[in-house]
Amino acid sequence: MSADQAGIGPPRVGTPEGQSPGRAEGTVQRREFLKVLGVTGAATTLVGCYSESIEKLIPYVVSPDNTVPGVSNYYATTCRECPAGCGLLVETRDGRAIKAEGNPDHPVNRGALCARGQAGVQGLYNPDRYRGPMLREGGTLVPTTWDRAIQTLSTKLAEARNSGAAAGAVFINQHEQGSFPAFLDQWLASQGLPPHLSYDAEAPLGAIAANRAQYGVAWPKLDFQAAKLVVSFAADYLDGWGLTVPQQLAFAEARARLEGAPRVVYIGARRSLTGLNSDAWIPARPGTVKSVADALLGAITGRATGVTLAQAADQAGVSAAALESLAAELRSARPSLLIAGGASERAADMALTVAELNRVLGNVGVTVKPFEGFLAYEGVASQAAVRAAAEQMAAGRVALAFVRGANPAHTTPAPVKFAEAFQKVPFKVSFSSYPDETSSLCDLVLPDHHGLESWGDAEPVRGTLGLQQPVMDPVFNTRATADVLIAVAKANAATAFRYPADYRAWIASRIGGNAALAAALPTGLMRGAALAAWAPRPVAAKSGGGLAASAGEYFLYAYHSPALGDGRGANKPWLQELPDPVTKIAWQTVIELHPETAKKLGIAEGDHATIETGQGSLTAPVYLYIGLRPDTIALATGRGHTAYGRYAEGCGANVMALLPVAEDARSGAQALVSTKATIRKAVGRSLLVTTEGSGRQHGRGIARALTAEQLAQGETHDEHETFRGQAKTEFLPGLRSPVANDAQGDLGDPTSKDKGQYDPAHWSGAAKRRWAMTIDLARCTGCSACVTACYAENNIPTVGASWQGPQFLPDRTGLGSNITRGREMAWMRLERYFEIDREPKDVEFDPDFETRLIPMLCQHCGNAPCEPVCPVYATYHSPDGLNVQVYNRCVGTRYCSNNCPYKVRYFNWFGYGEPNRQQYAFPEPLHWQLNPDVTVRAKGVMEKCTFCVQRIREAQNRAKLENRELQPDEFTTACAQACPSRAIVFGDAADEKWSVTRRIEDARAYHVFEELNTYTAVVYLKKVNHPPRAAAAKA
Amino acid sequence: MMQGMLGAFREIDAAVAAIEDLKERKVGAITVFTPAPRHEFEHALKPPRSPVRRYTLIGALSGAVFGYWIAIWASESWPLVVGGKAVSTWVPYTIFSFELMVLIGGLSTVAGFFIHARIPRVTMTVGYDPRFSAGHYGVWVQCAPEKLRDAEAILRRYGAEEVRGAE
Amino acid sequence: MATLAPPSPHDAPHRPNIAAAGQPLPAIRDYEQVDREILATLRPTKGWFALLLVAVACLGLGIAAWMYQIQQGLGVAGYNPPVMWGVYIITFVFWIGIGHAGTLISAILFLFRAGFRTTIYRCAEAMTVFAVMTAGLFPILHLGRPWKFFWLVPYPNWRFIWPQFKSPLVWDVFAISTYLTISATFLFIGLIPDIATLRDRERNPVKKRILSALSFGWRNSEREWRHFARAYLFLAAFSTPLVLSVHSVVSFDFAMSLVPGWHTTIFAPYFVAGAIFSGMGMVFTIIIPIRKFFRLEHYVTLNVMDAGAKLTLFTSLVVGCAYLVEFFIAWYGAVPVEQDYFWNRLFGQWWWAAWIMLTCNMILPLSLFSQRLRRNPAWLWILSLFINLGMWFERFVIIVPGLSHEYEPWQWSGYIPTWVDYSILLGSFGWFFMWFLLFIKNLPVVAITEVKEIVPPKVRAGHRHGGGH
Repeated sequence: MSADQAGIGPPRVGTPEGQSPGRAEGTVQRREFLKVLGVTGAATTLVGCYSESIEKLIPYVVSPDNTVPGVSNYYATTCRECPAGCGLLVETRDGRAIKAEGNPDHPVNRGALCARGQAGVQGLYNPDRYRGPMLREGGTLVPTTWDRAIQTLSTKLAEARNSGAAAGAVFINQHEQGSFPAFLDQWLASQGLPPHLSYDAEAPLGAIAANRAQYGVAWPKLDFQAAKLVVSFAADYLDGWGLTVPQQLAFAEARARLEGAPRVVYIGARRSLTGLNSDAWIPARPGTVKSVADALLGAITGRATGVTLAQAADQAGVSAAALESLAAELRSARPSLLIAGGASERAADMALTVAELNRVLGNVGVTVKPFEGFLAYEGVASQAAVRAAAEQMAAGRVALAFVRGANPAHTTPAPVKFAEAFQKVPFKVSFSSYPDETSSLCDLVLPDHHGLESWGDAEPVRGTLGLQQPVMDPVFNTRATADVLIAVAKANAATAFRYPADYRAWIASRIGGNAALAAALPTGLMRGAALAAWAPRPVAAKSGGGLAASAGEYFLYAYHSPALGDGRGANKPWLQELPDPVTKIAWQTVIELHPETAKKLGIAEGDHATIETGQGSLTAPVYLYIGLRPDTIALATGRGHTAYGRYAEGCGANVMALLPVAEDARSGAQALVSTKATIRKAVGRSLLVTTEGSGRQHGRGIARALTAEQLAQGETHDEHETFRGQAKTEFLPGLRSPVANDAQGDLGDPTSKDKGQYDPAHWSGAAKRRWAMTIDLARCTGCSACVTACYAENNIPTVGASWQGPQFLPDRTGLGSNITRGREMAWMRLERYFEIDREPKDVEFDPDFETRLIPMLCQHCGNAPCEPVCPVYATYHSPDGLNVQVYNRCVGTRYCSNNCPYKVRYFNWFGYGEPNRQQYAFPEPLHWQLNPDVTVRAKGVMEKCTFCVQRIREAQNRAKLENRELQPDEFTTACAQACPSRAIVFGDAADEKWSVTRRIEDARAYHVFEELNTYTAVVYLKKVNHPPRAAAAKA
Repeated sequence: MMQGMLGAFREIDAAVAAIEDLKERKVGAITVFTPAPRHEFEHALKPPRSPVRRYTLIGALSGAVFGYWIAIWASESWPLVVGGKAVSTWVPYTIFSFELMVLIGGLSTVAGFFIHARIPRVTMTVGYDPRFSAGHYGVWVQCAPEKLRDAEAILRRYGAEEVRGAE
Repeated sequence: MATLAPPSPHDAPHRPNIAAAGQPLPAIRDYEQVDREILATLRPTKGWFALLLVAVACLGLGIAAWMYQIQQGLGVAGYNPPVMWGVYIITFVFWIGIGHAGTLISAILFLFRAGFRTTIYRCAEAMTVFAVMTAGLFPILHLGRPWKFFWLVPYPNWRFIWPQFKSPLVWDVFAISTYLTISATFLFIGLIPDIATLRDRERNPVKKRILSALSFGWRNSEREWRHFARAYLFLAAFSTPLVLSVHSVVSFDFAMSLVPGWHTTIFAPYFVAGAIFSGMGMVFTIIIPIRKFFRLEHYVTLNVMDAGAKLTLFTSLVVGCAYLVEFFIAWYGAVPVEQDYFWNRLFGQWWWAAWIMLTCNMILPLSLFSQRLRRNPAWLWILSLFINLGMWFERFVIIVPGLSHEYEPWQWSGYIPTWVDYSILLGSFGWFFMWFLLFIKNLPVVAITEVKEIVPPKVRAGHRHGGGH
C-alpha cells in the first residue's frame, strides 16, 4: 500500500526548517505563533485571535518551501514513543504538526500506528513541558539561558574529570534504537565518563536474555501466519509486550486466514488483552508458568524435566486435562508458535525452556525467525544495572548523574529508593522534556527536543535505516541533547575536532552526505545500518527470595498498562482518557479482583481496598474482573505520578510502591510478579471511571462470531444471535441497492421528479457514491488505536480531568466526573462483551469464557432514526450516504441521541472548546494540534462520527483539481488508517472497484440490529473462533 | 331625534311582561340588560340567530388549508432526506392542519363575537346602570319623543322599580 | 389563615349540601348575595401575601439555577447519557397534563351540560392556562442552546431555512402554542361579564378604568349575551378535540421514537387519560383550600366534590388499565429488548419509581369507590397530593428507564438529578403558583354570571320574599 492509497498524498521532499521565524522564549507567545502560521485564515479559526495581536501580524515576504496555507505537508520520520522505531508520516499544516500517521512503506508498522504513537503529538504540545533550560538556585529550578546552562555543564564536567570522579558518573538514558546511544557513549568516553545505561522499564528482559542465549539476537520475528497453534506463556504480545504494532499486524494477518488461522492458547494468571484474543485460557498460578513449560517439554520430548504434567497442573492450579490436551495439540499441530513472556523471577529460564520447546517442535526458522528479527532491544540495559547505579549513588560514589527521558524514580520498586539515592548525587543533570519525578530532582535541566523536533536515525530491522527528522520548528526553547553534547565537546579543544557542526551534520556524514540524506527523507527510509551501541555490562541480579519468601494469601500481579506503559504516557490526555482495552477504566488505578474473591472479602465494585506487602501498602477502588485467578490481585503500572504535569499528577496509584527488589538472576529483569500480598476493605468508595455499561450482549447479536468449522461448512447464519424483532431480519446483501435507494426516500423512486442532489444524474454526481465501512471482527483485537486516531483527527475533547466537571457540584466533582456520568466523547468506542449468561459482576471462577471486542461508531444508517426526529434539520442524509451532523444548526434537543439504537451520538455538556473555561480540553499549546479541517464543537451541540467527511471532501477536491475521478481506495478514514489489525476498510459501496464492496459481500457480513431496518452503512464481519478440535467436533 | 325611557325591574317576569307589551304596541327599539343570560328574554324578543358560526367555519377551513400548505411548501422549498422518508409526508402534516384549524377557527370566532356584539365599546351608552350587573333587569326603550309617555306608562304598570327618561 | 375569610354574610349556618332538583345551590338566595360573597374573596390578606412571597422565592431560585445552567452548560444538570432527557422533559409532560383537566371541565363538561362544573370551572381553567404557561418553558430550558429555540418556529427568513416538519418536536411547538392561545382566549371570554360586574362594583376610579378596559365596555345587553353564548359554545367545541390532540401529540414525542417502552401505539389515549387524571388531582389540590379559606363551601358543594371524585376514579381506572396493557403487550409481543426493559422497570434498576407510580395512580384512588371518602374534602386533598406525585413519577418511569436501558447494553446507565434539576423543578411550581395566587385575588375564582344563571331569579309572585319595596 503506497502513500497515495493511505490517503495522505505524496509526502513532499524537504524539511520544515525555517518555516517559522518564531522561537518562543519561555512561553508560547501568540505573535510568534501567528508568525508560524503566516497570514492564514486558519490562524483566526484556530485560536481565538484577539485584535491587539492581529496588528502585529508579519506576513511572509518570501514563503518558505512548500508551505501553502491550508494545505498539509507530510514529513517522514521515526516514532520515539517506544523502542520499536515505527515509521511515521507526520501531517503538518502551516508549520505545525497536527497528526502522526503510520508510514505505509515502513517495514515495521506498514502504515499502522498504535495509540501511544498517535499520542506523540500531545507530548510535543504538552502544556507542562520544560519551556527552556533550568538551573537550580536556592533549592528551586529557575529558568536560565542556554549559554549559561552549557557553560555550567562544561565546568562541572571539567571538575569531574579533574577530581577523577568522572569514572563514577552515571548516565541513564531512555532506551532507544539507532545511532544516538553509540554517539552518546563516544561522547561520554571523550569526556572520560563510563558508558550510559539504556534503560527501558517495559523491556521484556527475560525473553531478550533467552533470545540472546538461544539465537544470538534480542528479538526474533514471530511469524503467526505460518503457525497452526499459538501458545503464549504469559506473553502479552497484544498489550505492549515487545513490539506491539508488528506483532499485532502479524497476529491479525494470521487470524484473517479464518479456517486456516491458528488456534491461540494463553497461559497466565490474568487474561490480558492477548488472553481475551485467545481461544483458550489456562489460568496458571503466578510463578508456575515455568513448570508448565517444563512439563510440556517433558511430555513432548519424553525427557525427565523434573515435573510431570500432573504435577505442573497441580502447582499451577489448573486442570491436568487442559495441559494434557495442550500437549497433544502441540504434538499434532505443527508448525506451532510458542511465545515466552511473563515477568516472574524465572522469566529467562522459562523463556529458555520455551525456546527449547520451539526447537524440538521444529518451529525455529519456521515461525520463530531469528534472522529477520527486530533490533529494537539491542543494547538495552537491565533493571539490575539501574538498581546497582542507585546503590552507588546511595553510597555517595557518584559525583555526577545524568538522566534523559527515563524516569527511574517512578519506575523502580520502592525498596530501590531511587529518588533518595539520586538526591545524594552532588550534581544531577536532566535532558528530559518533562518535569517528571526524576528530572525535577535535578540541578540542571537541559530540555531535549521532542522526537518530532529532532534529528536521528533507527535501524528497526537489519539493513534498513529509518530516518528521524524534525517536522516543525521547536515549540519551546529546547535543544536536541546531541547538539548540546556537541556544543560541550566543541567548548573543549581536546574534543572539538571530532564533531561536525551539529547532530544533523553528524547523521548526514554517516549516511553519505546531505545529498543522500535529502534523497532519503521523503520516505524516511534507506539502506544502511545504525552505529552499533556498546553491549550492556552484565550486572549481578539481586533478589529477596520473591514469591516463595513473601507472605500473604493473594498473589500480586502487576502488569504494564497497554496505554500508559511504565507511566510515560500518563501526561497525555488522550492516553489517560483511553479506556484500558481490558478493564475499560480510564484516569484511574483500580485493584482488580475476581468477583468470587470480592464476595468472599465482602468488597463491592468501587469500594476502596488496601493492599499490603512487605514493602508497603496501596489503597485504590476495586474493579471486578472475571479474567483473573481468584487467588490473585492485579494492578496496572503507569499512574500515581507525583510530578509529570497536570494530567499525570493526582490520579491513580503506583504499584511500584508494593514491589520488592526481585530480579531475574539470568536477565537482571525486575520481576513484576514477585510478591504475595494481603488485601482488606478500606473506608470509602468511589465511582469507577469506566465506559462500561453492561458487560455482556444479552443475546442481542451486536458482536457475532462463528467457529471455523461452521464457516468451513458455510453455516454463516446463526438465528440464536439475532434477537427477534418486528422487522424482517435476513441479511441485506451489500449496501448498493437497498440503502442507496432507500436513503433517498421517495426521491429514490425512479418515477419521482426533481430529485435535486439526490439524483445520481445530478451534475454534482454526489448521489453516485455510497460511503460505507466494513469492520472485520476476526482481525480486530480491541487495541483501541482507532479510538485515539479518531480523537486526533476530529478534535475530540478529553473530558475526564478532575477540573472538567461542573464548577460547584458537591457530589460529582473530581477525577472523571464526566465519564462516571457517561459523558465521554469517543466518537468511536471499543465495546468488550463477555459471552457469559450472568452479569460479569457476580460469577464463580470459570476460565472458559469468550470475549467479543467490537468497535462501535456512527453506523450512518440509510434509514437513520436520528434524522426525522431533529426539529431543525441539524442532521440529515447526504446524497452520498453520510448521516450528516450540522453543528451550527443544532439547538441541542438531544432527541437524535435518544432515538439512536447504537448510542453513538455525543453531546457537548460543557464548553470543552472554549479557552476561557475550566473545562477547556486544549490548554495552550495543546490546541496547536487541532485539525484545521474540523470544527471545534461549541457548548450545547450534538456531535458524532462523520466518516471523516473532511478527508472525503479533501480527496474529492484533489481529484477535481487534478481533473480526474477518485481512484478506488485512494484515501481512508483516520481509524482505518491507524488500525494495526487492518480490520477497518472504508470506501464507496456503490462502486465495486473499491475493496470495501467485496468485503460487504463476504459471507460473514452482518448489520448490527438489522431488524430495526436502519440499513447501516457499517458492516461487520463475524469473528471466527477456534475451539479445540474435539469440542468443535461435538458442536 | 330619538330619545328613550329606561325601566329597572327586580322581577324577571315583570320585565318580560313589560317587554312583550312594548313590542306589541311598537313603542320603539327595546334593549334588555340582564345580569345573567335568561331564555325568557330571548323568547320575548325573538332575535335573529347569531351569525358567529360563519366566522368559525371560514376561519377553521382556511386554518386547515394553511396548515397543510406551510408544511408541504416548506419541506419542498429545500428538499433534504431524513431517515429515508418522503420529502413531504402528508400524514403527519395533518397535525399542523388540525392545530391551525383550531387556532384560526377559534380566533375568528372571537372576532365574530366582538363584531356582532359591538364590543369593545369605548363609552357606556345611555340607558346602562351598574345595577344591571347585580340584581336588576333593565329595559331601555328608544323611541320618538311623543311616545315617551306610553313607554313610561307601560314600564310603571309592570312594576318597574324605577323609571327614568334619558336623552 | 382565618384572616383569609371575610365575615360570613349569614348569621344562620348554611345548609349547602342538600341540593334540590331545580336548585343546585340552595344556600344562595339572590344575585346580590353572589356578588357580595364572590367579591369578598378578592380582598387581599396576610396569608395570601405570605404564600405569594414563597412562590416568588421558589421562582427566583429556579431562575438562578437556570442562569447558572446557561452559563456553564447542560452538564450541571444530572444527565447521564444515554439518558439525554430527564427532569425537564418529565416536568414538561407533567404540567401539560395538569392543564388538561381544566379544559375538560370548562369545555367538555360544558358541552355535556354537566351542572357540577359551574362553580369550579373558572379555577380549573385558570389552572390550565398557567400550567401550560409553565410547561411551555421546559422544552426551551432543556435545550443545549436555549437562545436558539426560535429555530423550531417556521418564521420567514431569506435563506428559506425551515424547521423539519416531520419532527414530533415541531408538532409540539404547534400543538402547545395553539393550546395556550385557545385556552387563554376561552378563559378570558368567560371572564368578560364578570369583569363588567367587578367594574360596576368598583369604587376606586383608577381600578374602575382598568376594569372597564378589560371588560371591553360590556353592558350585559341581551344582544351581547346572544353572541357571547354562541362564541362560547364554538370555543368549547374547539377546545374539546384540542384537549385530546395536545397530549396525543406530546405522547408522539415518545411513541414516534424506537426506544423500547416508548414505541407504543397505546401512548396517545394512555397519555390523555393520564393527563386528565393528573389534572383532576391538581384541581382538588387547588380547589379544596380555596373552598375552605374563601368560605365557598356553599358554592363548591360536596356534590361537586363527589362528582369530581368519580371522574378522578374513572380516569385512574383507565390509566391503570393502560399500565396493565403495556405489560401484557411487552410479554405478548415477545420482543426481548422490550421485555428486558419492562422487567428492569418493574423489578430491576427502577423498581422504586415504578411502584411509587403504581401505588399512587392505581391503588390509592381505588378508595374513591367509597362515597364517604368521595365526600371527605380532607381525604380528597391528601389523595390529590399523592396523585400529583404519582403522575410525575409516571413520566419519570416512562422517560428515564426507557433511555437508560436501550438496545446497546454497553451504554446502559443510571440517572441522578442534581440540585440544578430540583431547583428548576421547584421554580416551575413557584412560577405556576405565583400566577395563580395573583389570579385569585384579582379576578373571581367562581364564575359570577354562571352562578347567577343557576340561581332562580326573582319573580313577582315572590313579593312575600320581601323584595325591594
